Amino acid sequence: MIELESVSKTYTVGKENVHVLNDVSLTISQGEFVAIMGPSGSGKSTLMNIVGCLDKPSAGSYFLGGENVSGYKDAELARVRNQSIGFVFQQFHLLPRLSALKNVELPMIYAGIKKEERMERARKALEKVALADRMDHLPNALSGGQKQRVAIARAIVNSPKLILADEPTGALDTKTSTSIMELFRELNEEGTTLIVVTHEPEVAEYAERTILVRDGVVLHGDARARREKL
Amino acid sequence: MNVIENLRMALGSLMAHKMRSILTMLGIIIGVGAVIIVVAIGQGGEAMLKEQFSGAGNTVELLFQPPEEEMEANPNLLSQAPFKQEDIRALEGIQGVKKVVATSSEFSSARFREKTVDASVTGMNNGYLEVNGLKVKKGRNFSSSDFLSGRRVGLISHSAKEELFEGRSPVGEIIRIANQPVEVIGVLEKPSGLFAFGSVEVYLPSQTWRSVYGKSEYSQVALQADSADELKAVGEEAAKLLNNMHGTKESYQVINIEEITEGIGQVTRIMTMIIGSIAGISLFVGGIGVMNIMLVSVTERTREIGIRMALGATRGQVMTQFLIESITLTLVGGIIGIFSGWGIASLVSAFAGWPSLVSWQVVVGGLLFSMIIGIIFGLLPANKASKLDPIDSLRYE
Repeated sequence: MIELESVSKTYTVGKENVHVLNDVSLTISQGEFVAIMGPSGSGKSTLMNIVGCLDKPSAGSYFLGGENVSGYKDAELARVRNQSIGFVFQQFHLLPRLSALKNVELPMIYAGIKKEERMERARKALEKVALADRMDHLPNALSGGQKQRVAIARAIVNSPKLILADEPTGALDTKTSTSIMELFRELNEEGTTLIVVTHEPEVAEYAERTILVRDGVVLHGDARARREKL
Repeated sequence: MNVIENLRMALGSLMAHKMRSILTMLGIIIGVGAVIIVVAIGQGGEAMLKEQFSGAGNTVELLFQPPEEEMEANPNLLSQAPFKQEDIRALEGIQGVKKVVATSSEFSSARFREKTVDASVTGMNNGYLEVNGLKVKKGRNFSSSDFLSGRRVGLISHSAKEELFEGRSPVGEIIRIANQPVEVIGVLEKPSGLFAFGSVEVYLPSQTWRSVYGKSEYSQVALQADSADELKAVGEEAAKLLNNMHGTKESYQVINIEEITEGIGQVTRIMTMIIGSIAGISLFVGGIGVMNIMLVSVTERTREIGIRMALGATRGQVMTQFLIESITLTLVGGIIGIFSGWGIASLVSAFAGWPSLVSWQVVVGGLLFSMIIGIIFGLLPANKASKLDPIDSLRYE
């Protein structure tokens, strides 16, 4: 599903080259639930941006579902993000002036789906995250947990192969976090590949495998969940 | 992502900042409105002036205006009567001439009981009233027998009625023109229009006029042609004929309508150019205002742009979104400008009696032009939005 082959990312700050990711190789299979952990500045955000096709690697190749996306142009990457990846962010990133339903509709607008079908699918997605009664609310009228549910509905509405969640529970209380993570587990059980970036061990516990990133290098040693399975 | 979707989004974000949108549109509204007003009033006025000068109903006036050489050669020229009865008959024989409207006028006193005023007394033949667009409001018009028999009847202008009769009904009363009795049979309609000040006038049939003043010539002759295309040829033909008959070369002339209308056109063109350039400057400044506010909007909505890109919007789609937003802004401004300009032009023409003319070409031109401004001044902000980096934009606070 996801294959990174000696991926590096280098930024040029002034005259110095900063190596944010150093020769990272990584494989995540279809249907896996993976947590990415690491201290801030470790390069995990950059890793996530590359996996999410928001950023391009400086060197190495990235295969997503068999496609070598590392050489893709901006427009092609936009299509991959639209069709194959669902994003969930810590800050929810809902458009404040659009209702929950309209927010969920957005990815389908860029996919060129007709109005009637968009409404139908957006409703279904909101029903799936148990927000059928909040469809016409603006984000401001929703609680944090509800906002994140809308964001999850938006992430799944184009039926992507992969959901990328960046600190999805970072702005939520423990109880709400649990319910959001339960929702993620449900989605994973239905076959969606899930990658969660977090620094909370409780969240990482939901994953089958944890990938540790430190100083731009992936440490494969830890596979607590996998160990337990064995 | 189609245009309708974009338009809906654009209207939504304009509505979210109503005050800002309206203020931004103001420059466009004023610019487009000014263009509409200028063009409407200019075109209407030009049409009206041309009509006044060329005379309603395809007429040209013939002038007796001897040049100096001819006056030196024949000093008696001016003491002769310019247009005689046989001249009129000869003119009527020219092919293409529909009517010959011959008038003679004299300035003399008009008296009713103790009240006396100075009036211009015009003797005319059948057709004068119609050709000059005059209508009888009270009483009756001249009948053909009035013209043939030279009965002592006359029509008076609205001002003459006011001055002489002071509210009484004049129809059937006898007034004295140059001390000769004439029966008033009708009053003419009050003239309308900006420059139409009513003067004291009395109209008599030519026969009557001649017997009142004891003169037998006409002072003015106008020709009505069968069609406007023949007007010039007919007029020249008539002048030639009269010069031949009187043994002169260039004493009889046709008032050159084309030259006059050309002159009027020139004046309105210059006026249109001056106010048009002011409107152009206003539109330019308005456009810069639009660009400015769109740049602010792009910065404010950096995060929105990042979210849209993460959800799969291409750079092209982001660019289109902001471009359509700026076009919507200027187009709505343009529409408001067209309607307010139209309204003001109609108001002006209602008060000044000056016709306004809003042609569909001007409306379509105004709409297209405001859209083009939206495109030109929206390009830079839209381009800026599309060049944003999605990762930085998502992090933008």
